[in-house]
Amino acid sequence: MHYWLKLLVGVLAATMFAAAGFAQTPIRIGVLLPLTGPFAKNGIENWEAMKIARDMINERGGINGRKIEYLEGDATSPAAAISETERLITKEGIKITTGSFASPLAIAVSQAAERHGVFHWETTGAAEIITRRGFKHTFQVGAPARKYGQAAVDFIIDDLAKRLNKPVSSLRIALLWENRAFGKSVGDGIRAYTGKKGIKLVYDEGYDQFSTDMTPIVQKLKDSKPDIVIAISFPNDAILFQRKAKELNFNVSAFIGVSAGYSSPDLRASIGNMVNGIFVADFPPKVNPNVLKPEVRKIADEFYKRYEKKMGRPPAGHATAGFSAIWALFTDVLPKAKTFEPDELRDIALKLDLPEGSLVNGSGIKFTNFDWPDNPKDAGQNLRASIGVWQWTKGGNEEVFPPKLATHEPIMVPLPSWDKR
Amino acid sequence: MTTLGQLVLSGIFIGAIYALMSIGLTLIFGVLRIVNFAHGEFLMLGMYGAWAMTRLLGLNPYLAMIAVVPAMFLFGGLVYRLIVSPALDKPHLVVVFATMGLSIFMQNAALMLMSADLFDIPPVFGHAVTIGPLYFKAELVVGFVITVICTLVLQWALKSTYLGKAIRATVQDREAAMLMGIPVPRIFLITFAGGSALVGLAACVMMPLFSVFPTVGLNFVLIAFVIVVLGGMGSISGALIGGICVGIVQSLSSYYVAPAFGQMFFFILFLLVMIFRPNGLLGQKGAADIGIAD
Repeated sequence: MHYWLKLLVGVLAATMFAAAGFAQTPIRIGVLLPLTGPFAKNGIENWEAMKIARDMINERGGINGRKIEYLEGDATSPAAAISETERLITKEGIKITTGSFASPLAIAVSQAAERHGVFHWETTGAAEIITRRGFKHTFQVGAPARKYGQAAVDFIIDDLAKRLNKPVSSLRIALLWENRAFGKSVGDGIRAYTGKKGIKLVYDEGYDQFSTDMTPIVQKLKDSKPDIVIAISFPNDAILFQRKAKELNFNVSAFIGVSAGYSSPDLRASIGNMVNGIFVADFPPKVNPNVLKPEVRKIADEFYKRYEKKMGRPPAGHATAGFSAIWALFTDVLPKAKTFEPDELRDIALKLDLPEGSLVNGSGIKFTNFDWPDNPKDAGQNLRASIGVWQWTKGGNEEVFPPKLATHEPIMVPLPSWDKR
Repeated sequence: MTTLGQLVLSGIFIGAIYALMSIGLTLIFGVLRIVNFAHGEFLMLGMYGAWAMTRLLGLNPYLAMIAVVPAMFLFGGLVYRLIVSPALDKPHLVVVFATMGLSIFMQNAALMLMSADLFDIPPVFGHAVTIGPLYFKAELVVGFVITVICTLVLQWALKSTYLGKAIRATVQDREAAMLMGIPVPRIFLITFAGGSALVGLAACVMMPLFSVFPTVGLNFVLIAFVIVVLGGMGSISGALIGGICVGIVQSLSSYYVAPAFGQMFFFILFLLVMIFRPNGLLGQKGAADIGIAD
């Protein structure tokens, strides 16, 4: 009897061990996003997009049979981003991190990850410095800051100037930027790029995004009589600016916001139809499906459907970018990995050579590796990240530039004055 | 000249609104001699209240005051009873951390309940007020008028009503006031609740002008602290003058120097006042120790 009992226990134990060995352990990824605090709005949208990607891949059986598991870190501020990243790495043993929406957070997260030799897949952070610190394991899938500005300027040169019937040289262009990492980085990029193209800016000033009174800014802009304003703002200051522009009756022929505030769905909720006609240089929220590979088109459709169902509105550009980047990690990087060690993942990432249209937002992937002629210090920046200009319309938004990605022609050029809007 | 007029008048109007949201803080500081670090979050709560009254019940935001102000009075009373009063006779740092903790708690509670979305109400008046070539949002002018009325009424109430006199007596000498039969703990409660009600009033005035979101208080609370100190801690008319000074300085320096320096200049003004009039513009000597000034 004793013998049988022992045997039974032995067999049971063996079965359990075997089961444990065969049941695939999940692939654990640390997601660092601002889920509370001032950036939470966009952070949460990004988080929802990332969760949709996780659910979609797990429903398809995971990656080579292994499910994806997220461990979240609340990167409220750069300091919190560092401590949360370190917590996930040292306490939870995370080897892959992703996130982190805003540039200052991306700078912090990637720094903590690099210190521990952890693979960081940055989805949306844009500041140029992210990939210029000699880091080996940081990959920035989204477009770098200068491209946002270049898209805005190219749009003026290639499209708006013709629609306004003015040579580019006689257009009066004003540049307004919030003076933190993102705004300054984009502003610097625009200044350099317009300089190269021989365009003079009639106004060029930074402001604090927590400004509570926009009167002096709008008044000064008004006095400089611009045809076109390019503005880099966050949601709250973008709203205050537009209201003040209406109050002071400040009219321009075209208004181009760059990402962040002007791409936020809050803008329409807050200022209603005043938003129609504003252009936004940004990650495309949605691109012309014809540029996407057929299998990517299906993924894109499913993502848009799920996101709208969950959030009650279509995704902003950064949320689509978050989804696109993490989906690329799931389908083009992780399936090729065996050890899932950061060095192996780095080699896989550096070998990626995906043409434009491979990601849901129209991007391709080709990373720099200290070999880019424009900046040999750059490593891990995606040279094929898509960026363009879209426009707020009555029904939602339409991609208008570059023509390849466009879903619609630009409308409301020149922009009607406030009393006619 | 037009530009200068536009900037100065806009500065005055917005400055008055800054003053209105600071009066509650200065009142509480003057009487209880504590700084409420959750002041910005009280403003946030009031703004959500005004938003809800306007969007959900369809009230005019100025009518929303009828509900928001008493509700904020009750909320202030509750906070006083539960958080402030137990900490009053403890070392000063305890109140600082208690109110700071409350501030973080309120921010995150708002984030959970309301999400990080920005909420707005439609404009109350369709058109801007024009004075010659100058444009002003009517809501801004209304805010200015409400602030002036509110300051005058408060001044009068502190001077002439029994409660006002009791508050001033408490400020001058707590022990003596207690000996004269003034219920000091109740005066504290009423002041804290009253200060909160004033923030509620400010919230209703500000809701047509600004969006509300969980961290909206952070954008304003620093300005409020500067105004309270600038005007003379505890001085109500000082807060009005301090607020208007901050508004004008911010407006002019942002235009003539650079928008990024707007805040720097009002802190320079702040430092100058601290150097030459350490008790604030209208404060009396040792206001931080004595409390309310007028």
